Amino acid sequence: MLGTYFYHQNIRKTIIAFGNLFNNITIKHQDGDNNDYSEIRVPLAYGPTQKFLARLEQQADLNKPVAITLPRMSFEMNSLKYDSSRKTTATQSFKAVTNDSKIKKVYMPVPYNIGFELNIMTKLNDDVLQIIEQILPFFQPAFTITVDMVDTIGEKKDIPIVLDDISFRDDYEGDFSTRRILLYTLQFTAKTYLFGPISDSTDSLIRKVQVDMYSSTDVQTARREMRYTVTPDPIDAEANDDFGFNENWEFFGDAKVYSPVQKTDI
Amino acid sequence: MALNPFFLQGSKSEQFLIQDLINEQIKIFGVEVGYLPQKFVRKETILREVSASKFSDNFYLEAYVSNYDGYTGSGDILSKFGMNLKDELTLIISKERFESFIAPFLAAMDPDEIIVSTRPREGDLIYFPLGNRLFEIKFVEHEQPFYQLGKTYVYELKCELFEYSDNIGGWDNVNTTVDQIDKSLEKQGYITTLKMFSSGSLPGFTTSLVSGYVRKIDLINDGYNYLSPPTIEISPPPSGGVTAQAVATISCIGNFCSLKEILLTNPGSGYIEPPNVNIISLTGIGATAKAIIETTYNGIGVVTVSAAGSGYVTPPTLAFSSPTVGSAITAKARVTLNSTGGINNVLIIDAGVGYESIPEIIVNQPPLTLGIGTFIFNEVVTGESSGTKTRVKSWDNQEKILKVGTLNGSFTPGEILVGSISSARYCLKNYQISDLYDKYEQNDEIQIESNSILDFSEKNLFGNY
Repeated sequence: MLGTYFYHQNIRKTIIAFGNLFNNITIKHQDGDNNDYSEIRVPLAYGPTQKFLARLEQQADLNKPVAITLPRMSFEMNSLKYDSSRKTTATQSFKAVTNDSKIKKVYMPVPYNIGFELNIMTKLNDDVLQIIEQILPFFQPAFTITVDMVDTIGEKKDIPIVLDDISFRDDYEGDFSTRRILLYTLQFTAKTYLFGPISDSTDSLIRKVQVDMYSSTDVQTARREMRYTVTPDPIDAEANDDFGFNENWEFFGDAKVYSPVQKTDI
Repeated sequence: MALNPFFLQGSKSEQFLIQDLINEQIKIFGVEVGYLPQKFVRKETILREVSASKFSDNFYLEAYVSNYDGYTGSGDILSKFGMNLKDELTLIISKERFESFIAPFLAAMDPDEIIVSTRPREGDLIYFPLGNRLFEIKFVEHEQPFYQLGKTYVYELKCELFEYSDNIGGWDNVNTTVDQIDKSLEKQGYITTLKMFSSGSLPGFTTSLVSGYVRKIDLINDGYNYLSPPTIEISPPPSGGVTAQAVATISCIGNFCSLKEILLTNPGSGYIEPPNVNIISLTGIGATAKAIIETTYNGIGVVTVSAAGSGYVTPPTLAFSSPTVGSAITAKARVTLNSTGGINNVLIIDAGVGYESIPEIIVNQPPLTLGIGTFIFNEVVTGESSGTKTRVKSWDNQEKILKVGTLNGSFTPGEILVGSISSARYCLKNYQISDLYDKYEQNDEIQIESNSILDFSEKNLFGNY
């Protein structure tokens, strides 16, 4: 029943857009004289991956001399839930024009909340404080980004990214058999949309608008006396073209009336 | 209750004997490891952590590997943060050997950098040669075995594979002068790749004089929606003349683009009245321009690049000698660069007025005419104009690619980088910041994907993109 193939990459785009918020965060370190000696962009990656790929890419040298390089950030999608508070009428649709000027019928997208988790791991408390201070002020509690959800029709949606929760772990207590772990976890909700299949519209482009004007409001007896017609210039312009308009005014004294069925004055 | 006076409970000579036997056993069955003391460079006062440190000394000492059948710990695991190696190692070293060999050196160091010198310290590094790996001492056990004959003879060092961070990988990083150790860290941590020019050479230009030429093209209206440079068509002169040719450039603020300027590639000749300038674009609307011609005096014709030169990072300035007659307007032109830092072509801004002979064309020297020397591992490299410093990870003399650790600022493309020890000098072409060697980070990958789906018409508050 459902089997119409479509894939707009809505979820993937939301993941990319979320990651983009945090891909240019830097931290600095100072030496004993308070001079900056290093400025690094904190590495960020999408957490889930194939195990063999991680091993081949990140541990090409089996005898890697160090355990891990810190600081690091990772993010991942961890929930997907329908958002009934943003529900629109299921049958509501709109027309859109594709890049190649074809008219498409698009049903209103379905609101879904995608949960994200941003994890930050550092060796130093000072590092993680530098990182989160560069993130938190922008979420009050949401930060909105605009994403082109369906590129074929250029449908851009504003997606608020809401900061839901912050938790952190600093295992500094205990015996010396375990190392101190500094790990901050920020929970977010992206209020995104999922688009259904986009079908060809049976409707054509409106290429002519005609308005008849009457001297009386009695539509039974009154006859049209003036006609205003607008057509695109050029007449074969497509929806994405840059076109102008031709306007035409006509005056009648022939007591005829326009029949939309027969498409002529009778 | 006093102890039995007829037993010694461990005499000095007995203790020495046991110590000697232990030392000998460790020397026979042990492994020679490198001991790298951590020197504090900066300590955070409130948060109580060492935020910058260096490992600039090493001492080779024999150690018995307690976990002789392999590393302990969790092994190699895949975490949220990529591969994390949890190998652990337990080493036993002689107390006497440490106190007589290493402790005196530690005691002689800066007490602000070495706050404990009498014993092995947690946080120091062990270079384990079987596998070329660096372990951090997590805990020093000093009472196992427990006071045999009234004394302890060994330290047990419980170690875990080192967590690398730029608080040691940057300005004052691991620099032990032992090739094995230094090389093991050459490809670790944050690596900035610098592409350098080895040499530069001056370009050459030729031109001619023309009459009845288009002197310049003035933009009257810059229009809008010029997403790519439009084609410029200039109407031809009367028969026998040469049609002028020009190219346009655009400028954008966000997604709003308009025409920036129209520059001549050929001023043409034989014009007796200003030609029409047609601006042809698939998207742009509204731009108009007019051609200014000179019919009385001569100006410069096409400027041909006879030798492209090399070593330029930013387009050099061209200067033409002054004309002598008429309104005597000096010609102006700019150049574009090719991928090797040579001159691609010359675009004429103004063909000038009043030249009686072909003008001399003077061009700036490239930043560095000859790169010299070989950068050496871990030396400090300084940008001459920016003052930015970093340390060398590796130098590819063939490809002229310099890999360095983290920077303390930004280099400026075109500046000369000088090695502090090698005195090597090369000109910086461009650079890519902070690549993690282990291919974990996706920062750039995410940005490239985002560029096509995110609407950046409003500034991204999170960075410079």
